[in-house]
Amino acid sequence: MLNHTPDAIELVDYIDDGEKARHYQFRLRNITSQATTYDWQSAQPGQFFMLNVPSIGEAAFTFTEPPNEQGEFRALIRQMGKLTHTLFTLPKGEILGARGPFGHGWPLEEIIGKNIIIIAGGCGLAPLVNLINGLIDNLADDQRVVLVYGAQSKRAQLLSPERERWQAHIKIYNTLNEIKDQYTLAENESQGTPLDIIDTAMSAFTKPPATALLCGPEIMMYRAAKQLVNKGMTNDAIFLAIERRMHCAVGLCGHCYLHEHYVCKKGPTFSWQELQSLV
Amino acid sequence: MEIYLLDNLDLLQQHLLIQHQLYQVIEDDNGQCSWQQQTKEGNAPLIAKLPQSSAKDFFFAEHENLLIFNGEYFQETLPKPAPFVLFGALSCDLTAISYQDKFFKDDPYYQARRQHCLLVGLDCVRPCQQGFCPTVDAGPGVREQSADIILHPLENQQWLVITTSDKGSEAVKGLALSVAHWHLLTQRDLVLHQCEQDFPDNTYITQAIDKLNSGEIKDSFWQQLAVQCLGCSGCTTLCPTCSCYSTRSITVESEQKKVIKQQRFWDSCLYEGFQREASFHNPSSDAGKRVQRFWHHKFGNEFFTEFNRHGCVGCGRCEQTCPGVIGIHSVMKRINSDA
Ligand SMILES: Cc1cc2nc3c(=O)[nH]c(=O)nc-3n(C[C@H](O)[C@H](O)[C@H](O)COP(=O)(O)OP(=O)(O)OC[C@H]3O[C@@H](n4cnc5c(N)ncnc54)[C@H](O)[C@@H]3O)c2cc1C
Ligand code: SF4
Ligand code: SF4
Ligand code: FES
Repeated sequence: MLNHTPDAIELVDYIDDGEKARHYQFRLRNITSQATTYDWQSAQPGQFFMLNVPSIGEAAFTFTEPPNEQGEFRALIRQMGKLTHTLFTLPKGEILGARGPFGHGWPLEEIIGKNIIIIAGGCGLAPLVNLINGLIDNLADDQRVVLVYGAQSKRAQLLSPERERWQAHIKIYNTLNEIKDQYTLAENESQGTPLDIIDTAMSAFTKPPATALLCGPEIMMYRAAKQLVNKGMTNDAIFLAIERRMHCAVGLCGHCYLHEHYVCKKGPTFSWQELQSLV
Repeated sequence: MEIYLLDNLDLLQQHLLIQHQLYQVIEDDNGQCSWQQQTKEGNAPLIAKLPQSSAKDFFFAEHENLLIFNGEYFQETLPKPAPFVLFGALSCDLTAISYQDKFFKDDPYYQARRQHCLLVGLDCVRPCQQGFCPTVDAGPGVREQSADIILHPLENQQWLVITTSDKGSEAVKGLALSVAHWHLLTQRDLVLHQCEQDFPDNTYITQAIDKLNSGEIKDSFWQQLAVQCLGCSGCTTLCPTCSCYSTRSITVESEQKKVIKQQRFWDSCLYEGFQREASFHNPSSDAGKRVQRFWHHKFGNEFFTEFNRHGCVGCGRCEQTCPGVIGIHSVMKRINSDA
């Protein structure tokens, strides 16, 4: 039987990142009368949880760091509507709720040890943080990982310290939609969207990438997928994380439908092969 | 399966009332039929009169609490209903319950109610007004797997009482019933077969289902159709297999304490904002797409494979609430003529 009841968590800490986004750290509370209901330790990169802000409701967020043995986990959260606005007003120590992990994350068997191209837009980098950290920790000698990260503007860029750290291990291309007049682009920056830099990024591989991982605005992902196919990648080697409105995360409320599938259960990660006929 | 003959249905009602709350479809002065609780026997079940609202609310409540938060932790709020019986449920509605049983198989709130319910089905021996159950294999005779007990009216005012599950056999224990001769089952089959023949010709529905699955219908057809849809949610509310819901939080404050409840309530995939995300990205902002999805959910092959049947049970309620626009008969006819 399913459970709709969240485990209680504590808002431990947060730090601002970019414009109206924050890294949140939470900790599961093990109140003796109510042990945790979910198998938190099983969380895989790209899976998500439902955060419950009491008096407001629930919304889906991916783990940037999955729950560790102390039950601590992190998420990068953008301020959007009612729930996230309320969350941003809450002090440390506040008791909230969480259910998860849910959905199918990134296909690790297609990723580990292989050449990978990652294309992320805006907050779409959040579901990839945990994965990229893992890839870097286990990078094989001949393995090449390339990240294309697009943001609206310099101020809107997220995860700057992380990208700085990753830079030593993987190739990163940053794109900015808008730049201010006086701004001089850094070496790894260019003006435009990730789509403008895909061809360049592909030429950074001596052996073509085995797998592509895409996360960001839907139109951007679809266009990027088509571009990668034109560059010779196969439909089943390209994976996209789809966002849909979610209320239950267990395939019942219907909100996240994508034809006959529910993104919360079948996704959020789909191969381009599966998606093509659905969009 | 056991078959009994009963002269007086009051006896069965009386017997069931000992251990169950009993609900039955009652017709009011304006001819409107609805499920109502009965505290005593005496009302004969209405033949082929479909209540305006289906029985789905008995299991998948129109709104209900999912949990409460007391400031420290979250608690489940599972319902604990007294055993109840739906007496005289018709085959289309029972088929819908079987469908929902599968969909909500793992939902504790649905199952908490469902497990306390005894389903007493009633054969339709003549077609109802808007229904087309034979076309979608959902009636007019009650399917064995969809009820615990089946009632079949015989011509001489007697009733055939067929128990089809252990729960059904258990429920009639202690009641003085005479075993019926098997030939009455053959007679039942004949009557139901005749009833099927008496339905109007609904081949346009079968043809439309094929066309819907052929992938030939253009987006522009759905857009034209959707112009007339007000997004009122009438059809999704009345449809016995519609199951979409939303959630909301409610804070109840008294002097001593504050309790936060999270509720779920029926929602409609035909609402413009059903899939709208916080970023205002809306994958189904196009009304045509929403109407198309609704009908695919009812008749798409992909769903048939999953549930082993269509999502539509042929009750005709959507047509009744939305005559001439996006009800079943209107849409299926237009698919044949315009799509
Ligand atoms: C699988 C998945 C992973 C996500 N991961 C992240 C992440 O790591 N970081 C991040 O900042 N955002 C993420 N999002 C988006 C995030 O869920 C929305 O930004 C959030 O729901 C906005 O809620 P709100 O209450 O502020 O907005 P409101 O407009 O007030 O939303 C009201 C309610 O609608 C629902 N809703 C609205 N938009 C969405 C949406 N896009 N997705 C799901 N439910 C929605 C929620 O139930 C929400 O409570 C993710 C979404 C999905 C589906
Ligand atoms: S659709 Fe069939 S089962 Fe339903 S009320 Fe009409 S005749 Fe009876
Ligand atoms: S789609 Fe219409 S006819 Fe079919 S089950 Fe739903 S309400 Fe009844
Ligand atoms: S979020 Fe409810 S079905 Fe996917």
